[in-house]
Amino acid sequence: MSMYQADDAVSVERVSKTYEGDQPVVALAEVDARFRRGTMTAVMGPSGSGKSTLLHCAAGLDRPTSGRVRIGATDLSSLSEKQLTRLRRDRVGFVFQAFNLVGALTVEQNIMLPSRLSGRRPDRAWVTEVVERVGLGGRLRHRPSELSGGQQQRVAIARALVTRPEVIFCDEPTGALDTQTAAEVLALLRSAVDQTGQTVIMVTHDPVAASYADRVVVFADGRIVQDMPQPGVQRIAEQLALLGRRQPVAAREG
Amino acid sequence: MLGLAVQMLRFRKGGFAATFIALAAGVMVLTVCGLLVESGLRYQGQSQRYAEAAAVVAQRDLTIAGPKMFGEQESTTLVLPEPGTVPAALVQRIAALPGVAGAVGDRSLPVVAMAAANTPATGHGWGSAALAPYRVVSGAPPRADGEIAVDGRLAAAGRLRPGATAEILVGGTAQRFRVSGVVEAPGPHGGKAALFFTDTRAALLDPRPGRVDAIGVLAEPGADRSEVAASVRRAVTGTGAKTYTGDELGLAEDPAATAARELVTQAGGAFGGYAALIIGFVVAATVGLSVRYRRRDLALLRAIAATPGQVRLLILGEAGMLSLLAAVVGVPAGIAATAWIRGELVTRGFIPDTFALRAGVLAAPAVVVAVAAVALVSAWIAARRATGIRPTEALGEAAVEASLGGRVRAVSGLVLLAVAVCLIALTGGLDGEAALGAAVSMLYTFVLAIALLAPWINMAAARLLAPVLRTVWRDSGYLAAANLRANARGMVAVLTALVLSVGFGGTVWFLQDNLERETVDQSRAGILAQHALVGAAGLPASAADEARRIPGVVAATGVRRTSVIVPMAFEGMAVVAQGIDPRGAEQTMDLRVLSGRLADLDGTSIAVSESRAQSSGWKLGENARLWLGDGTPVTLRVVAIYDRGLGFGDVTLSNETLAGHTATGRDDHVLIRTAPGADTTAALTSLAGRYPASAVTGTDRFTGELARDLAISAWLNKLLIAVLVGYAVLAAANTLVMAALSRRRELSLLRLVGVTRGQVRRMVYAEQSALLGVALSIGVAIAAVTLSSIVNAVAGRPIPYVPAAGWIIIVGGTAALALAATILPIGRVLRTRPVEGIGIRE
Repeated sequence: MSMYQADDAVSVERVSKTYEGDQPVVALAEVDARFRRGTMTAVMGPSGSGKSTLLHCAAGLDRPTSGRVRIGATDLSSLSEKQLTRLRRDRVGFVFQAFNLVGALTVEQNIMLPSRLSGRRPDRAWVTEVVERVGLGGRLRHRPSELSGGQQQRVAIARALVTRPEVIFCDEPTGALDTQTAAEVLALLRSAVDQTGQTVIMVTHDPVAASYADRVVVFADGRIVQDMPQPGVQRIAEQLALLGRRQPVAAREG
Repeated sequence: MLGLAVQMLRFRKGGFAATFIALAAGVMVLTVCGLLVESGLRYQGQSQRYAEAAAVVAQRDLTIAGPKMFGEQESTTLVLPEPGTVPAALVQRIAALPGVAGAVGDRSLPVVAMAAANTPATGHGWGSAALAPYRVVSGAPPRADGEIAVDGRLAAAGRLRPGATAEILVGGTAQRFRVSGVVEAPGPHGGKAALFFTDTRAALLDPRPGRVDAIGVLAEPGADRSEVAASVRRAVTGTGAKTYTGDELGLAEDPAATAARELVTQAGGAFGGYAALIIGFVVAATVGLSVRYRRRDLALLRAIAATPGQVRLLILGEAGMLSLLAAVVGVPAGIAATAWIRGELVTRGFIPDTFALRAGVLAAPAVVVAVAAVALVSAWIAARRATGIRPTEALGEAAVEASLGGRVRAVSGLVLLAVAVCLIALTGGLDGEAALGAAVSMLYTFVLAIALLAPWINMAAARLLAPVLRTVWRDSGYLAAANLRANARGMVAVLTALVLSVGFGGTVWFLQDNLERETVDQSRAGILAQHALVGAAGLPASAADEARRIPGVVAATGVRRTSVIVPMAFEGMAVVAQGIDPRGAEQTMDLRVLSGRLADLDGTSIAVSESRAQSSGWKLGENARLWLGDGTPVTLRVVAIYDRGLGFGDVTLSNETLAGHTATGRDDHVLIRTAPGADTTAALTSLAGRYPASAVTGTDRFTGELARDLAISAWLNKLLIAVLVGYAVLAAANTLVMAALSRRRELSLLRLVGVTRGQVRRMVYAEQSALLGVALSIGVAIAAVTLSSIVNAVAGRPIPYVPAAGWIIIVGGTAALALAATILPIGRVLRTRPVEGIGIRE
């Protein structure tokens, strides 16, 4: 039986992830989730709750111990490492918390890196538009080390937008930014959903960041414990506070 | 991908500097080796005197048949230590061949024209002048026995004009000749200047009756020269002589050319082998390191877009491009270094001045390809490891440290270590060359085992030393121990390089010192005579006789230094030998005879050192088969086995046996023992006065000269070792500097959390002491084990001699390395404010 539906950008089906070791850690326990096209979802939860692991598995950066992950109609479990890379390059964009950019390359080269690696000519007009949208017009020849944290995040977003991916995965995209800059970055992500119909899945700790999303999914102990459509900042904060009281923060960084 | 590789290189110049330096220095070292081998192989001496000959028949080397292997007859060819000769009777036979206009037996006699003592010259019969051909420039050819003709070089150097009287030192005596003419040959000068006696005079002066040095063949005008050469080749088959034609004529003309060719080719080849091994290690380590320090960058590339294949390609592209850059720098540097070495070799008399360096059209590309191959293979291995980098590492805060190493690495390391330990026992049970060979294999096995086990050694050392470090440096020591544990893998290159330098360098370098010292000791202890009459141009047997007649002289022994070729397990080897006049020899020299009697030595017998007897399988009273220096096979009965082989030579023969088989046919020195209290000074001085270019010295000074000779030949060995050790140390320094500079963030963090600058500094000292201390101890242990087994086998002393300067260089050098490669860079890192440092991406 397949859970796949045509308007799912990403779906995970009974996905488990166990980290082997002296004391095996269950990071995800049979998680089911579907993310519809053209939506923005915030994934929240305390440290060690499994939210980052979900992101890694859903994006094809890591393989689940069991279960099935799909991006669009493609089942990731059947793909080789090379095919997975191609899929990430063509259909997925990433924005991480920090260290997003290759220091050796200029802003422009960083933005063009996925196209360059796939050997495809980028659409110049689209590139210009994306660069305009993230407001980096004057800084294309700079190196990442010459940019502020917010500017670096905007470069990462531009890179994620330029290949017109189906899904953009963000891991704490505003974690290292001040409130004002964070708001700008979140507005950019929101506009990717609203203007170009892309799908954004974002792991975050910040209730304000989560409030930009259409839906908030809360993780604890490797399971989804809350699934809230468009809750306000207030409700998100309450839910998180509840979780915080319920259990101590696990040692493992999820 | 190449474009990306170029950008990576340009951006991280510092990070790639280590790899670049390692590659460039490697290319340079290998270029030197390659050039030496290529020049050696292509060097054929310079023929001037034989330029007109269609072919020359001579014996310059000896081919010894070895065992049959896989149905093929193995054989080794050795350069003859003394000039080989061919029977004079062959001249007639060759002259009768069709197409041959004439055959000339050429005699080459070592001569010194007193007026031009610094110009090396050889004397010949006038008949051989036709082989060049020499033309009379002024005066006339020598017609009477008191006449000589000199070539332009000698005439200019000695201001000799026709009609002048020249004093010529030949066969140990000075004789006066009238210069009848000055002659000149076309073409560039050969190795030595030429001087011509009449043919009869030359035959009289030649100590080898019935033999000639070479036979030059002149072809009839219009005859096919190659056909003539072929018929000559057929005619001499089976005599042991070889037919030289064309460019090879230079090898026939100057025996030194063959020796030089051999020396240079072997030195370059053997050294190239060691160098390739070490360069492989170093390059692999630095390339691996450059990948380690960029794990996060590579993980990011993997996460956003790059396939594992593309990341591999990127790393290979970087390595390939660095190799090309390294070649641009390394090849010219190598050529310059080779030119310098050639100059030194010529100055030290190892090779003749005509030895030309070839531009290296074969060697340079071969070296570049070889180094690029090493770099690419290392990069491939590193890249395969990089493929294991999970893309999620890009997301984490800290790059995850790789595991210590695979099981294969650990197991092969342990196996090698076990083999090395077994070799200790084996070496202890052997003697002489066999022990030397076993010890060298032991050295290699140890170093390889340590290189493989390095990650675990580092880890174990970090654990074991943790309490010590904590006690000595307290909090800093605690941090240092933690860092050592964490960096166990990263410091593998440092450990390997240092163990290699200290173990390898220490062994080979001090081995030279030990051999020199042992030689001098044996010679000093064994020479019972108080005086030595040393003749630079050789002394006739009459010198020893005259010395014996001096009142107060107890015994006098004429000694010739030569080499003989002895059989070994599968091949032959040239060893130092001495020819003595056995009468009363036991009163002038004590060889420390272990069995038999030196007094029994005569024209049919031989005395050999114990280690030689063992290696060649000779026993007292049995026959020994060997070849004299000129390639003549002899079978001699072993009458004595002695201990002091290093001081006197492994083989002692009677001068009777050597007669006609050495170049001069004269003694090199006469050892003179006088009765206690006898005043013989005046008589000895007048004896020296009767023999040209000779002097009486005390034997204490005489041994000093022997040692200097040995020191010169050790020069090449030590130069090669210095280069290798320098290279390995360079690699260690590279790694340390890279590691130190990459710690900016970590050290800033430590300071932000409250560790003082002094504590950070002490932490670094503690790390360095532990890391370098361990490397030094292992290296010294390996050197000590290897050196003592060799010295024990060769000199019979369990404890090798290591000069104080040696210890100072090893310990001081390591300390200097730590200072220059870590403490100074860390000092620089500590000068940045911690708040700035924390923001810097690694």
